[in-house]
Amino acid sequence: MIGILKGMATTMKHALDGKTFTVEYPDVAPEVSPRFRGVHKFSQERCIWCRQCENVCPNNTIQIVTDDQRNGEQYNLHIGQCIYCRLCEEVCPVDAILLTQNFEFTADTKDEFAYNKEQLKNVPWYKDIDPLESREPDRGAWIGEGDGEVDYQ
Amino acid sequence: MSLEEPTPDSDAELDVVGETEDGLDYDALADLLGDKVRTREEHLNAEGFVIRPDDVQDVLFALRDEAGFDHLSSVTAQEYDDRYESIYHLKKFDDPTQQLSVVVPTSKDNPVSESAEPVYRTADWHEREAYDLVGIEYEGHPDMRRILLPETWQGHPLALDYDQTEPQIVTLAEHRNPLQEDHRAGDDSDTMFINIGPHHPATHGVLHVETVLDGEQIADIEPDIGYLHRCEEQMCQQGTYRHQIMPYPDRWDYVSAGMLNEWSYARAAETLADIEVPEYAQVIRTMAAELSRMAAHFLAMGTFALDVYGDFTAIFQYTFRDREIVQNILEDLSGQRLMFNYFRLGGVAWDLPEPREEFFEKTRDFLNDMPGKLDELHDLVTSNEIFQLRCVDTGVLPPEEAKSYGATGPVARGSGIDYDLRRDDPYGYYDELDWDVVTEDGCDNFARVLVRLREVEQSARIVEQCVDLLEDWPEDDREIQANVPRTLKPDHDTEVYEAVEAAKGELGIYIRSDGTDKPARFKIRSPCFSNLQTLPVMSEGEYIPDMIASLGSLDIVLGEVDR
Amino acid sequence: MSFVDIIGDLLGFGQLSAGEELIAAFIGAAIIGTLMLTNTALAGPWAKRKITAAFTDRIAVNRVGPAGLLIIVADAVRLLSKELIVPEEVDRPAWDFAPIVMAGSAILGFAVIPMGSGIQLADPETGLAFVFAVGSIASLGLVMAGYASNNKFSFLGGLRAVAQNLAYEIPLVLTGASVVLFTGTLQMSSIVQSQQAALLSLGPITIPAWYAFVNPFAFVLFMAANLAEVGRNPFDIPEAPTEIVAGYQTEYSSVYFVLLYLGEFVHIFLGGAIVTTLFLGGPAGPVLPGFVWFMIKIWAIFLFTQWARSAVPRVRIDQLIEIGWKGMLVLSFANLVLTAVIVGVTGI
Repeated sequence: MIGILKGMATTMKHALDGKTFTVEYPDVAPEVSPRFRGVHKFSQERCIWCRQCENVCPNNTIQIVTDDQRNGEQYNLHIGQCIYCRLCEEVCPVDAILLTQNFEFTADTKDEFAYNKEQLKNVPWYKDIDPLESREPDRGAWIGEGDGEVDYQ
Repeated sequence: MSLEEPTPDSDAELDVVGETEDGLDYDALADLLGDKVRTREEHLNAEGFVIRPDDVQDVLFALRDEAGFDHLSSVTAQEYDDRYESIYHLKKFDDPTQQLSVVVPTSKDNPVSESAEPVYRTADWHEREAYDLVGIEYEGHPDMRRILLPETWQGHPLALDYDQTEPQIVTLAEHRNPLQEDHRAGDDSDTMFINIGPHHPATHGVLHVETVLDGEQIADIEPDIGYLHRCEEQMCQQGTYRHQIMPYPDRWDYVSAGMLNEWSYARAAETLADIEVPEYAQVIRTMAAELSRMAAHFLAMGTFALDVYGDFTAIFQYTFRDREIVQNILEDLSGQRLMFNYFRLGGVAWDLPEPREEFFEKTRDFLNDMPGKLDELHDLVTSNEIFQLRCVDTGVLPPEEAKSYGATGPVARGSGIDYDLRRDDPYGYYDELDWDVVTEDGCDNFARVLVRLREVEQSARIVEQCVDLLEDWPEDDREIQANVPRTLKPDHDTEVYEAVEAAKGELGIYIRSDGTDKPARFKIRSPCFSNLQTLPVMSEGEYIPDMIASLGSLDIVLGEVDR
Repeated sequence: MSFVDIIGDLLGFGQLSAGEELIAAFIGAAIIGTLMLTNTALAGPWAKRKITAAFTDRIAVNRVGPAGLLIIVADAVRLLSKELIVPEEVDRPAWDFAPIVMAGSAILGFAVIPMGSGIQLADPETGLAFVFAVGSIASLGLVMAGYASNNKFSFLGGLRAVAQNLAYEIPLVLTGASVVLFTGTLQMSSIVQSQQAALLSLGPITIPAWYAFVNPFAFVLFMAANLAEVGRNPFDIPEAPTEIVAGYQTEYSSVYFVLLYLGEFVHIFLGGAIVTTLFLGGPAGPVLPGFVWFMIKIWAIFLFTQWARSAVPRVRIDQLIEIGWKGMLVLSFANLVLTAVIVGVTGI
């Protein structure tokens, strides 16, 4: 009986102290960390069409079309299948990709999650982010070449 | 950690073949098996003895009874161009660094091999999985059916000649009708067949438990898995070692244990490619992993209380609140709350977030609040008489059964098996820190709950020490990643099996390389998969509520069971 | 003057004829039914959420209307507009009657409860027997729902409900009977009346002779049996969501589900009303009108069920039966005999 009463006392203590842990979400958005990996932002102004992000993406979220001069023609982003691993941001040599702080992301159908270069110019989740914005990607370790022979992929 | 070796059982231990002062004597083991060993292979973690497919039981019996290999950690099946191969990864519960692989090649035309099920009960499901995904048949197996894929599936997806583009067309007639009358127990039987799941409030995901009830008591029970099978092994086989595999381990045990899962891949790949991890990165890894473990154990505690208490009651919410705090810390560290993708081969992705003091303070605040919160949980849960009435002596799992079924983690430790890879097969920074392995002798649901609660305390100790270390770490020596080539191509035909102690138990990864930058075979030994096998032992003859409680105390995550 | 007479007066009937009495009684019943349903509406979609949230450090409904109160309307619309799914091969009409039986029987019990301020629809001499009788009709509804649903989980829930109600009905009635030993009558108003005297006077504070104070042992026993009778934690095993999905409710949706849910809540309040009448002096209390005191008391008991729900684990069915037959039954007999001896010796 003592144990049951102790348990009930504990919950009553919580009820009476009036503290809440949850927040009223749409009104009060929880703060996200500076490192948070939200929706993908692509900066066409910076991109040099090196296709490294396309290569590193584990599940083909990014598709790049270039002409025979290796000039960029198309940048297709199937954002609906992105797994937010941030490998593209890490690999980008010119900081053209940023995973934003935005995590609110909806559409009615899967198709609406596929964007091309033009559509990406005015997508809602860029909001008022500076198109040239980037963050310190901590790339120091990334560009290591190992101790052996250098392999440029 | 106390660096004491597991104490040998004096007399009995001396007779064990092949055990010497400095590890295993493979020659002695080979002598024991005589000419049954056809050749010997070198794997990175252990030697592999190649044997004939009809010698499997003889060899494994000898190894179990005379050489002390009482733990069949995993069974890996794979297909080569010229043969099929099953590998039995053997270990000892007393000392998991003593490992041996038993390699059983079978021919292409007739891939039949003797079953290991009579020796180790855990081989039951592992061999079914091998049959299901690769196509090797096991003779003498009590129940050779598919386990992950539907029974109507055509072909074996991890076999080399499998055509992935071919649609799986199954006519409706071939499906078993779930609504059809079932008389499997006979017409005048007193029992009732009932499907618990795949959609049921207490199965923690899409688990289907086929249950035969005698009144309210369980006469027969069989977990049916595979509803969440996502070909994780194959996905890893299609990713490059260096980057593309690492995001996926987070998605096996997806509740909170991402860091621990990532470590399992990191450990295997680092052994495979011979990568040295900087000490600083190891400390960060250890801290992150233990935070993850705390979060996972909180969730386990909360959902178990949910199963026993019956509603989304206070306990569930309190544990979730604490888990949320851990997740905030991990978000500051890695940038995500669940799918961390924080480990890299040779280190971690980021250093601690700046300003470091703030991060340390946040972590310390959490750790300081911890004892009070645990006391509260003890008040709410473990000291509650009705809770004790429900959990003590229900879902009993005797240690011998636990070993035979390959149960690990809190499930094994709740049955008094002193087995923790963090201490017994050290990795990371664990052997430099001061902590204890928690065991309970109750063997019941209550013991498993206690183990988890006490492990949270130990994890808090580890994190605290890591924070101390990191705070005083000299600024010019903060190397977070070793210098690893951008494209990793391990040598052709290197094989490795390495395991870490994940939240649910021993999470092992087997990788075979074929000289390219992607693995040729990637096998995941999931702790939940093995642990779930013990459910029938724990619940037959018990009441439905006890079965639900046992299921909760196993703390399975279906994403990891089905992979 | 009885409640029905007051209504008759208000309608200007004067001396009631049989027909006029019928009309007045119907109106009285409608008032009381509406009152209890209002309580339930407040408790189910709103108060329960708020209370649970308080125990679990959350906020709960607060977006629709002041303090989220309009969620009651929103929920009502939502629940009523859902499709009623009738599974194949359910045993009709038993399946259709079950929700009505459950909701109806619980409301019926309030007919004899004195709610203070003169509100009591009927005051028969066998009031207590009546309220116990209609209260346990709900068990019939449970069995009907469980058996007719053609679902194994419902079936198990129905069986559990029978076992549970059998085991706890007897201690409940026996403990209630120990109060009757004091009062010497089954009439509800007399039971309330006999609790008005002062038990103890400590200076300015007077402790009334509520039977909760006179015989606290019986009170605790009755509260426990009452929890089981209305199927709340730790005795909510006929539903037991984590074990048998939702027990007898599994196959019900839309309006039928609302009725079941409603029935449960009215039942909790009926249990509270019985406890109030038998042990807490009915509507008696200082300053505030009796009716307000009555409401405060039944809501306090509702709060208690929710409190227990937050921290008490559900017992297993066999343990429940064991507690019922081996523990509660013996204790309630002991209580009855002891009370009888005390009443006999002291001649209160």
